[in-house]
Amino acid sequence: MTITSVRTDVAALARDVVKIYGRGETAVRALDGATLSIPAGRFTAVMGPSGSGKSTLMHVMAGLDTVDEGQVLIGDTDLGRLSERQRTLLRRDHVGFVFQSFNLVPTLTAAENIVLPLTLAGRRADQAWIDEIVAMLGLGDRLRHRPAELSGGQQQRVAVARALAARPRIVFADEPTGNLDSRAGEALLGFLRHAAHELGQTIVMVTHDANAAAYADRVAHFADGRVVAVTGDEGK
Amino acid sequence: MWKLIIRNTVARRGRLALTLLAVLLGVTFVTGSLVLTDTSRRLLDDQFRTAAAGVDLTIRDAAAFDSAMGVEVERDPLPAEVADRVRAVPGVAAATPVVRGRGLIGVGGKTIVPAGPSLLLSWEPAPVGPFTLRAGRAPAAGGEVVIDAATARRHRIGLGTEVTVRAERAERLRVVGLAGFGSGEGLPETTVALVTLPEAQRLLALGGDYSEVDVVAADGTDVRRLRSAVAAALGSGYEVSASRDVAAASAAAAKTQISSLQMMLLALAAAALLVGAFLIANTFSIVVTQRTRELAVLRAAGATGAQVMRSVLGEALLVGLAASAAGTGLGVACAAGLRDLAGVFGMTLPDGGLVVTPRTFVVAFVVGVGVTVSSAFGPARRAAAVAPVEAMRRSSADRLSGRAGWGRTVTGAVLTALGAAGLSIVLAGPGSVVVLGEAAVSTVVGLALLGPAVTPGLVRLLGRPLGVAGVPGRLARESAARSPRRTSATALALAFGLALVSFTTVLGTSIKESTARSYAETITADYVVESARNEMLGGLPAHVYHHVGELPQVAVASRLRYGHWKDGQSVEALTAIDPVTLPRVTSLHMVAGRLDAVAGGGVVLAANVAKERNLKVGDTLAMTFSRTGVQRLPVVGLLRDRDAQALSTGYVISLDTYERNYREHVDASVFVKVADGVSRADAKRAIERALADAPTAQVRDQAAAVAGRNAMIDQVLGLVSVLLMLTVLIALLGITNTLALSIIERTGELGLLRAVGMTGAQMRWMIRGEAVLVAALAIVAGVGLGVAFAAGTVAALGRTVEATLTVPVGQLLLVVAVAALAGLLAGLLPARRAARLDVLTAIATS
Ligand SMILES: Nc1ncnc2c1ncn2[C@@H]1O[C@H](COP(=O)(O)OP(=O)(O)O)[C@@H](O)[C@H]1O
Ligand SMILES: [Mg+2]
Repeated sequence: MTITSVRTDVAALARDVVKIYGRGETAVRALDGATLSIPAGRFTAVMGPSGSGKSTLMHVMAGLDTVDEGQVLIGDTDLGRLSERQRTLLRRDHVGFVFQSFNLVPTLTAAENIVLPLTLAGRRADQAWIDEIVAMLGLGDRLRHRPAELSGGQQQRVAVARALAARPRIVFADEPTGNLDSRAGEALLGFLRHAAHELGQTIVMVTHDANAAAYADRVAHFADGRVVAVTGDEGK
Repeated sequence: MWKLIIRNTVARRGRLALTLLAVLLGVTFVTGSLVLTDTSRRLLDDQFRTAAAGVDLTIRDAAAFDSAMGVEVERDPLPAEVADRVRAVPGVAAATPVVRGRGLIGVGGKTIVPAGPSLLLSWEPAPVGPFTLRAGRAPAAGGEVVIDAATARRHRIGLGTEVTVRAERAERLRVVGLAGFGSGEGLPETTVALVTLPEAQRLLALGGDYSEVDVVAADGTDVRRLRSAVAAALGSGYEVSASRDVAAASAAAAKTQISSLQMMLLALAAAALLVGAFLIANTFSIVVTQRTRELAVLRAAGATGAQVMRSVLGEALLVGLAASAAGTGLGVACAAGLRDLAGVFGMTLPDGGLVVTPRTFVVAFVVGVGVTVSSAFGPARRAAAVAPVEAMRRSSADRLSGRAGWGRTVTGAVLTALGAAGLSIVLAGPGSVVVLGEAAVSTVVGLALLGPAVTPGLVRLLGRPLGVAGVPGRLARESAARSPRRTSATALALAFGLALVSFTTVLGTSIKESTARSYAETITADYVVESARNEMLGGLPAHVYHHVGELPQVAVASRLRYGHWKDGQSVEALTAIDPVTLPRVTSLHMVAGRLDAVAGGGVVLAANVAKERNLKVGDTLAMTFSRTGVQRLPVVGLLRDRDAQALSTGYVISLDTYERNYREHVDASVFVKVADGVSRADAKRAIERALADAPTAQVRDQAAAVAGRNAMIDQVLGLVSVLLMLTVLIALLGITNTLALSIIERTGELGLLRAVGMTGAQMRWMIRGEAVLVAALAIVAGVGLGVAFAAGTVAALGRTVEATLTVPVGQLLLVVAVAALAGLLAGLLPARRAARLDVLTAIATS
């Protein structure tokens, strides 16, 4: 599947998205008319209190879940029109992920984890590109280790490398520093910003932490299932 | 406490379901076997007790023993005057002469050949005779017969029908009545023809003699004293027994086959339970690992180690109880099915109301609960050892589960090496079957201990080809290698089942092939006439030999008979031959002495028998015959082992000697050499015509004769293989179970894989790949072990009989293919479940 972007400035778009968990009395409107556009090549943070629906937004934008109302586009592909399998292939080829924890397959080495989406697709890795990210993330001497032999910060860096490896259209990170001490966390945030600025990678990071959000170019403030304000270099 | 245990067990019912199923299947098997054999025994007891119910004493010709290998010996008939002498003894109310023998019933040109005996009896009204009229009247004159109602119904024989009864003589008789036996319509798998005493004597060529005299004591007479009085009056040539004892002895003889069947079934059930035990231990160990955090919290909250242990064992107890209860019920229900299955493979058991004894319940529950609880013991101990601080650890799944300890690995290696050494000794020569058994146990235990240490290496080696399938294949291999204890226990359970299957297959094939080879080399006859019925002594009427021998198309006819004799307590078999004609239809090699010397009343021994008994030509062998007691026979020759095997036994006497010592007069085989200038086809047709009055006789060429000899092995092999499939099935449940549990454990990892783009199909292949890999590990270990120990057994057997190893490559490949396919099947369900995991929930779980 190829995605041709007409408007190169928008990497992904959520429009009036509603997501409801459960039914009847216990129904939760996790997303309640959320609208957010993600500019390409920028580092965007989605910030809001716990339970406000940030992760849900990220899941539907990344094609991990479907919406109840509204529209989600990656490039100009409407995720609502894709089958489960097509969404899987889209994720594999065009979306990178960094989760809060348990990002890596324990039986694979760091190097194997990094190229996992590529090998799943049966594609050859662009070795020069991989070397570049590995060098940037300072993982050179850790490639042959298994996740259990890496520190938390190293594990998250491997996850970032994996997210970047396939040159995805967009990378989503959900509280990537949530389990790290502040030094490791700051280092990781630095890498993410670097990836956006120097490598032109579109990055969306979900966080409840204002300090973390400060690393981003733009911050979408999120509350009660919708974006309430966007601040930053080109806020609109 | 119990409330917690019950709640826990119910909450984890999904995870424990397959464990329960494994125990349930094992218990079903045990219960089914016990119910089936108890029922058969009870039916036989009832049957013989009914037969003797109206009689106090039974007088027969004296015999040194009653029965051998489940066959009652034939006794000399009693002269007519015995009855008169008995009647003269005070206290005897009635002394009734009875004639019993075998007679086939024929109707409409067809002979009825039941799976069991075809009885021919003199009619006696109750209480002496056990049969009661259901229709018509008793036989009153020659030419009249009463048959059992069951046979009459099955073959649509009505009153007035003419039937042929074929014993020593054949006669056409008119059916004048139908009789029942006790409360039933007849005897299971048996035909019964009841005629007048003189008619029975005529059909059986007894002249004026009887088979036995049944005595009814006068009212108020002490039966024991009467027995002594009658015995004193008759002298030592006759045996006076309490009829109840005779019935019990007959029942015991009839039950010998059931006992060996029971042993076989219970051994197979034990194998199934052993495999089940592996599965249970594995399940509990996985569940305990998954619950480490929860257990640690419990410990932190103040639960003692003993309490934690009790809670795990309590769960096992509940599973065991539930499985035993269900298994017992199912076993009772399956007993009839098991009987049908045994019937398919030629082991006929009487049919009737099921007997469920308290013993069956006790055994079922003890076995079911015992196996479950003791298998859970190891995991329970590990659960008790969980430290409260583990509650604080990040994730139990992160710990690589089940690395092998040093002590365990070394012990395992030593035991495996000992087992291999034992096997090599047997293969090299001197070891016995006992050594082999010990080696087998040592190897299996050794491998179980060694498994976790060698599994990762083996899995990666065997899993090489999976690497070709890309990441899913590699991940499948790695996750099998990652939890070696789990993988090795799962694989070993299947390996054990497969080892039994391949062992049986290889051993059976080797024995069959060896029989065929020694038969082909030894027997040079063109045709062999044998009875189609699988009787212990052959069961060919004596006249067949005479009819066939008289044919002009036949150059030589030579017959064999089999007989039982006793050497102290042990029962042996012998072969009786005609030393003049046998060399013309066989090619026998004497190691010492001469075969024709048996004509002088001596015995020829197989070389290995002579060696074992330390006998040489010129020594004497004391043999106890039922009819004539202890006889000392000179050893006149030694026969090569494989030739003796072709003659079926290691002891060869002449037919004359046989006739002096046996009352039995059925032939086992008649070897035929076709006359010069006659085509084989012509000769065969002529022989078949001559067999018209022997409905059970068959003309066989060499291949058919070998097949007839191997039929028993085929039957046992067939039944054993089918039942072993149950063991394999339980082992496969083990694969499904282990995978399903590990999927629960790996939910986070699987979710991650799906998130970064693994398709559902790729995930399914990954899980199936892991299942197939476990199966492959089991195939390599199981088939290897099975073949190796079959080779050892053949080598050990080869020292006493002709036995060469034949490896049935085709059949083994089939076993391999079926096991691999079954592994794939076992992975199907977990694979589907893994592919259906909701990505988001999976991520959330991590
Ligand atoms: N799978 C789910 N089922 C039911 N409710 C859910 C589920 N996932 C999230 N929620 C609810 O939706 C709301 C938003 O959750 P989430 O997106 O995880 O918030 P955040 O990431 O901002 O903390 C919360 O109230 C949460 O309880
Ligand atoms: Mg969240």
